[in-house]
Amino acid sequence: MQSLRVNGQVRQFPVQEMPATLSALLEKLGVEAATVVAEVDGRIVGPGEFTRTPLADGQSIELVKFMGGG
Amino acid sequence: MSKLAIAGREFASRLLLGTGKFASPQAMADALAASGAEIVTVALRRVDIDNPQDDTLRHIDRNRFLLLPNTSGARTAEEAVRLSRLARAATGINWVKLEVTPDPYYLLPDPVETLKAAETLVKEGFVVLPYINADPILARRLQDIGTATVMPLGSPIGSNQGLRTRAALEIIIEQSHVPVVVDAGLGLPSHAAEAMEIGADAVLINTAIATAAEPVEMAAAFRLAVEAGRKAYLSGPRAPTDKAEASSPLTGFLRD
Repeated sequence: MQSLRVNGQVRQFPVQEMPATLSALLEKLGVEAATVVAEVDGRIVGPGEFTRTPLADGQSIELVKFMGGG
Repeated sequence: MSKLAIAGREFASRLLLGTGKFASPQAMADALAASGAEIVTVALRRVDIDNPQDDTLRHIDRNRFLLLPNTSGARTAEEAVRLSRLARAATGINWVKLEVTPDPYYLLPDPVETLKAAETLVKEGFVVLPYINADPILARRLQDIGTATVMPLGSPIGSNQGLRTRAALEIIIEQSHVPVVVDAGLGLPSHAAEAMEIGADAVLINTAIATAAEPVEMAAAFRLAVEAGRKAYLSGPRAPTDKAEASSPLTGFLRD
């Protein structure tokens, strides 16, 4: 098994199902890429870079988006 | 009427709107339209992986409204800078409403962390609109380091208490070379009008509109109040006096 920490929660993947890129992860989670910005191990990844951002076992990923706020 | 100018951009409306707490995205969109606002704030939060489809941004026409991401939730300068960078990556715009509020009960802004974050963000090329307590010295320090506005509070966020800080706001307005946007605590259109009458350049409203029984009507009421207050300020209101001053002539009475 491999794992990714996504928004603070550890998610385990069998090696062959481990998402290879950030966009593959978003697809797996059902999150629409256009509305999201990400951090991979603290490095900001903008919406245009998801397909070319590879993921590796043990990485920590933050997925954030805009919500209503004052 | 003169326009509001922030960081070289001009806005016809002096009412900024927050997008939190609305009953539905449609209610928010309708209230935005009724308010006439051109600048709207949004917050950045973790995606709810179990319910990822909720999408406020879709209901805000980016051609019509300037998105102003806030750093709400930040408790330190470091967290606020991180949120600002994420917001810039998400929107491509470098405007940020800087808020650092470590105190969960009154949500009062931390002046030290706010100044520290503002210094970093200004250096990184952000247009910084800092939310602050009504502290005239802090307001000067912030404008000196290059923030685009100062945004002093009228009273605690969402409290609807109005201009509890009026005396300090008047000093900030007198001393400021950047626009003063009174933010937080304005619960009624009369509070917004009062802020504009004493010379605030703009006000930011969220709770009072979003939680009203009729948000669209309340948005329209705030729009009128902000316009009325601005016109009154520009008209040179007279100071209060202790004694009466007759409005009618004091001659020609029908008595001997």
